[in-house]
Amino acid sequence: MADWGRTTLELIVQELQAPVRLDESFDRRVMVRVRRAYAERRPRGVAGWFQAAASVTRRPAYAAALAAGLVAVVTVGMLRSRPQTVAGSGPIPVQFVLVAPEARSVAVVGDFNNWGLGDTALVAENHNGVWSVSAPVPAGVHRYAFLVNGKQWVADPTAPRAASDDFGQPSSALVVEAIAE
Amino acid sequence: MRSRAVRGFVTMALVGAAFGSVEAQDPRIGNRLDAPTRKALSALVDSARAQGIPVEPLMEKVYQGLAMGADGARIVVAVRSLTAEMANAQRELGTVATTDELKAAASAVHAGVPPVELGKMKKQSGLRRSLTLPFTVLADIVSRGVPVQTAANAIRSLVGAGARDRDISEFQRNVQVDIEKGAQPKAAAETRAKGVTTTPARPEKREQE
Repeated sequence: MADWGRTTLELIVQELQAPVRLDESFDRRVMVRVRRAYAERRPRGVAGWFQAAASVTRRPAYAAALAAGLVAVVTVGMLRSRPQTVAGSGPIPVQFVLVAPEARSVAVVGDFNNWGLGDTALVAENHNGVWSVSAPVPAGVHRYAFLVNGKQWVADPTAPRAASDDFGQPSSALVVEAIAE
Repeated sequence: MRSRAVRGFVTMALVGAAFGSVEAQDPRIGNRLDAPTRKALSALVDSARAQGIPVEPLMEKVYQGLAMGADGARIVVAVRSLTAEMANAQRELGTVATTDELKAAASAVHAGVPPVELGKMKKQSGLRRSLTLPFTVLADIVSRGVPVQTAANAIRSLVGAGARDRDISEFQRNVQVDIEKGAQPKAAAETRAKGVTTTPARPEKREQE
């Protein structure tokens, strides 16, 4: 009797310890149920997306990470969108023209050539009273003037005035736009 | 970025050479400035640098004064005035303003535009829009007799309407021509600003019969 009982108990234990054999379709059936349950819980469309996003931001760690990311993106965006100083761009050809039929000589001086100090003035050519010279000018805003006959200062009549006539002589303003790369 | 740094270094070197010592004078300045003038200019440049104001425009002002035959005292006055105008402009525009914007803004301030008006435009336009040309045109039309508030309103409306630099340049030329032909500066600016900000109506297509 004792043997019978022991044998029966051993058989039960043996049966419980034996690996459970599942049929081949078990995995597929489980995954179908999981997907169905998930689909029933999650609202579809835009509302579902917002709800999912809201559930993330409620978690402090995720919210902190999201905030840090946003700050980083905005900061990088601001740095990149900061108006670039056009001084970094290469010189751009600019033509200066002055109609002065009576002039014997015309030169162009300005910020871009240190106002002619050190013999850097741009000497214009005479085309029947239309004096012209072209020169590469760095992108940016510049002040300049025509120097007629080596002594008379003349502002460019076709350009904006430079408001500051600190030295009692007229001058003009030139804005050279950088060429987008 | 690299060229900007190089340019800044060259400017610093030139400023140092120009005002730092008699032995290392800028050849463009040579003996044209006496010692008191050099000392005064050096102090102004140091002050500007301490305030974060770009010093290159100050050097350009010195060169301009020398080329135009101004004496040392007048050059110092001009550089001091420019330093103050750039400082005022920078206070309103903030550190995001470029050197060119500051130069143009200083011109507008010199013409009589309150710096606060420039700050309003900068806030309105955002960081992406360079205001170098709008400020330049603002200074121009004020110097041609357009009342400051009218000019500021006109430029602000143009910038606010998304006008490009070429539109604002055209606006300046039109105002200039109108004034030279005898128009009242205020009326010219107001009328021409409306022309830029008003979108022209498209011609209606004629229906085919």
